[in-house]
Amino acid sequence: MNGTLAVARYTLAELSRRRILLVFFIIGAIGIVGLGVGLKILYTVASSSGNIAPNNVDPAVFNRFLELSFVNYVFSALATFGLLIAFAIGMTAIYHDLDSGSAVSIFSKPVSRFAFATGKVAAAVAALVVIVGALALEARFVMFLFGGGFENALTGEALAVVGNSVVVMLIVLSLSTWMNNIVAAVVAFVYYDVITGVISFVHNLADNGVITNNLIKTIFDIVYWLVPHELVSSAIGDVAKASIAISGPQANNQALSGIQPASGAGDIVWWAFVVFFFAGLVYYAVRRRQV
Amino acid sequence: MAVVVSVEGLRKRYRSSDPWAVDGVSFALEPGQAFGLLGPNGAGKSTVVKIIAGLLRPDEGKVQLFGSDPGNPTSRKDMGFAPEDPDFPKFLRAGEVLDYFASLLGLDEGERKRRIPETLQFAGLENERRQVRQFSKGMKQRLGIAQAILGRPKLLILDEPTADLDPLGRRDVRALIDQLKDSGVAVLLNSHLLSEVELVCDTVAILAKGRVLKEGTMAEVVPEGRNLEDVFVELVQANTPQRDQLPSFITDEPKA
Repeated sequence: MNGTLAVARYTLAELSRRRILLVFFIIGAIGIVGLGVGLKILYTVASSSGNIAPNNVDPAVFNRFLELSFVNYVFSALATFGLLIAFAIGMTAIYHDLDSGSAVSIFSKPVSRFAFATGKVAAAVAALVVIVGALALEARFVMFLFGGGFENALTGEALAVVGNSVVVMLIVLSLSTWMNNIVAAVVAFVYYDVITGVISFVHNLADNGVITNNLIKTIFDIVYWLVPHELVSSAIGDVAKASIAISGPQANNQALSGIQPASGAGDIVWWAFVVFFFAGLVYYAVRRRQV
Repeated sequence: MAVVVSVEGLRKRYRSSDPWAVDGVSFALEPGQAFGLLGPNGAGKSTVVKIIAGLLRPDEGKVQLFGSDPGNPTSRKDMGFAPEDPDFPKFLRAGEVLDYFASLLGLDEGERKRRIPETLQFAGLENERRQVRQFSKGMKQRLGIAQAILGRPKLLILDEPTADLDPLGRRDVRALIDQLKDSGVAVLLNSHLLSEVELVCDTVAILAKGRVLKEGTMAEVVPEGRNLEDVFVELVQANTPQRDQLPSFITDEPKA
């Protein structure tokens, strides 16, 4: 336990001093505040004369539209920065110890490879949660400028982003124990974003009846349960419903049918299994590694 | 007397197609003994010490560290290892590296507060505030030796400990080895500096191509009237291809 805590503590200290993470965080933070404040200024200027030209839009509706734009942006930004941070942490947390030779001194101490791997994974997850959590908190604060209403959706989306980023990070961590960290990141990207993305997309098409070929349906039903499932929060649906609500009576629920539904219990259990599997792979890779 | 390290018929190769990096090495090390492992580059010295330190797995043979498998973390509790060309988490400072390693050694906070400043002082790093990534090779080597003695080991493994040190640093390491030997610590020294080995080691083994060419006490290995370097060169040259030919562009007469 002491070994795990020591590894986690000093890995966190190292991660907190890595400029690349700081740069990602600063860009994300400035982007969120910049857009939120920018949209608010736009609203203030545009609504200063009563109704908003050219279509005499109600300022309240316009404010809601800007808030929805902001929320959409925040969700995209969180997902993008979550992934970038996951890659940055995954590529460095274990690889640099192995590559620099630090692992020689560390592994000669009375610490088990399990304690080392556990400490590294714990620190990596903690760093990811802190950075994404800080960006989400900042976004939540900016939302108050617009009157709020999407706080719960933001919390759900932040959790989904953290969950998905943890999977990517564990894949990169385990691969970078075997291979060069840049190659590991490319392989992880191809596996998680390309192969898994295509499988999930085709599976969804088959589920929605777009693909009717039974053989393809069966194949993709099987392979779908061999790859990680991206967690989806209800936030995307909530924002879509709100957009439809301000579009007027002519809008209908047909638009909602194309939106991926929120992950159910099965997907969450599968996510937990995937996390456990890749964390186990990190341990296996560290245990097998000779330095 | 209990054996600190015993190595029997050790064999290791990195790929199945490679020649043996270590081929049938055997020796034992007792408390208070300083054992020198000598050999040319690629002789397998570092591989042997890494197997003893639990960093590499042997393919054949048996290695015991304080009576246990070196892969077992508890067997490494009383071992200090200063690796060749050491490196450390590069964004940490020297004191943090020692605190990290002291935690891995299971030292409590009081003991860490007592030992770390003294160890930093011994290594001449007490006023160093930069992160490890800004350290010179010599500073890293001193930190490597510092972390190796931090746990007050009963076995100290030093792999080329003075390669990047200045003469004063080398003298300090020699004094450290002498002092540790006197207090019953076993020292396994892997070095190219034969004069240094001759000064501090009681027993030596000379390796080439993974095999022990000669092993024994210093008096057994180095006959009266000769020195360790003569014996080493003679043994190694007899067992490895000659490398005394200079490139032709060096020996050719320059064109006018």
